[in-house]
Amino acid sequence: MKIEQIKFKQEASKRVYNDYMKRVKKVTNSLSKESQDDIYMEINSHIFEAIQQSTEGNEIDALLDIIEKLGSPEEVLKPLVADKKLEQATTTFNPIHILKALALNFTNGFSYIIFFVSYLLLLGFVFLIFAKILHPNETGLFLKDGQFKVLGISSGTEQDGFTEVLGSWFIPAMFFITLFFYMLITFTLKVKKHLNKK
Amino acid sequence: MLCDLLYIYFMNETFVSNWKSQVKKGTLTFIILNILKENEYYGYELIEQIRKHTEIEIAEGTLYPLMNRLKTENLVDSKWVEQETGIPRKYYCLTEMGTKTLVQMNEYWKNLENAIQKIIK
Repeated sequence: MKIEQIKFKQEASKRVYNDYMKRVKKVTNSLSKESQDDIYMEINSHIFEAIQQSTEGNEIDALLDIIEKLGSPEEVLKPLVADKKLEQATTTFNPIHILKALALNFTNGFSYIIFFVSYLLLLGFVFLIFAKILHPNETGLFLKDGQFKVLGISSGTEQDGFTEVLGSWFIPAMFFITLFFYMLITFTLKVKKHLNKK
Repeated sequence: MLCDLLYIYFMNETFVSNWKSQVKKGTLTFIILNILKENEYYGYELIEQIRKHTEIEIAEGTLYPLMNRLKTENLVDSKWVEQETGIPRKYYCLTEMGTKTLVQMNEYWKNLENAIQKIIK
């Protein structure tokens, strides 16, 4: 559907309208094109209908009044963008969408902070896979006298009595941990979203 | 003495107005669903209906996130309808599940109302 702009008689109204709609676009630009257009058109329609029904004689006064009642896009659309992003994230399994959704929902509760930290941990495992390729001897799961010491990169290795136990299994192991964490986070996120609805 | 009375009066005022806004916020979804029971409306019209029926002034922009939530809950559905003006309207209506849910909500509300009436007397 083509997006039709509202036509105004006064230059000032045009500028105020364009500025407001630009802000709407900016707030929603992390969403899919379809969601962006949907929100844009709905706000556009709201302003248009409100102008039609307005009893205020002066166009610019009417428009300013409508925009004030709608509220600032940054504030009013925030929960809508956060919701839509979460919907998108849990349906696509795309890590970028998930990270963005978590960032947007960060202020919505403590649980999202835990999700965020788990996600960072997950990225840590991915990092270790690359670290193992670049520094095979310093990266691994190190034990000393049978006790866990380091999972990751360690400069002091054999001379400190550290033994790496995973060897060539390190990369596959990290890969499966990453996969496991990823499924776990996405699954719990879905459960959380489901609980939010209740 | 006068200061104390004034203080109590103003504290009460804020308490009551906070309480009122909580009630409004809590019942807004319920009101919207009931308005949509009879007819389908587009966003701006819906706001006018809310105002007409309940005299509740809502921050207009907040309606849209709320409608999106109701949509993901499968209680309402929406469709874009082209207009001669060139600016289409997004109409909202109740889904079958929305209608069923509303029956339960209305029943609960009636019971609650009866109970409250008894307490108030």
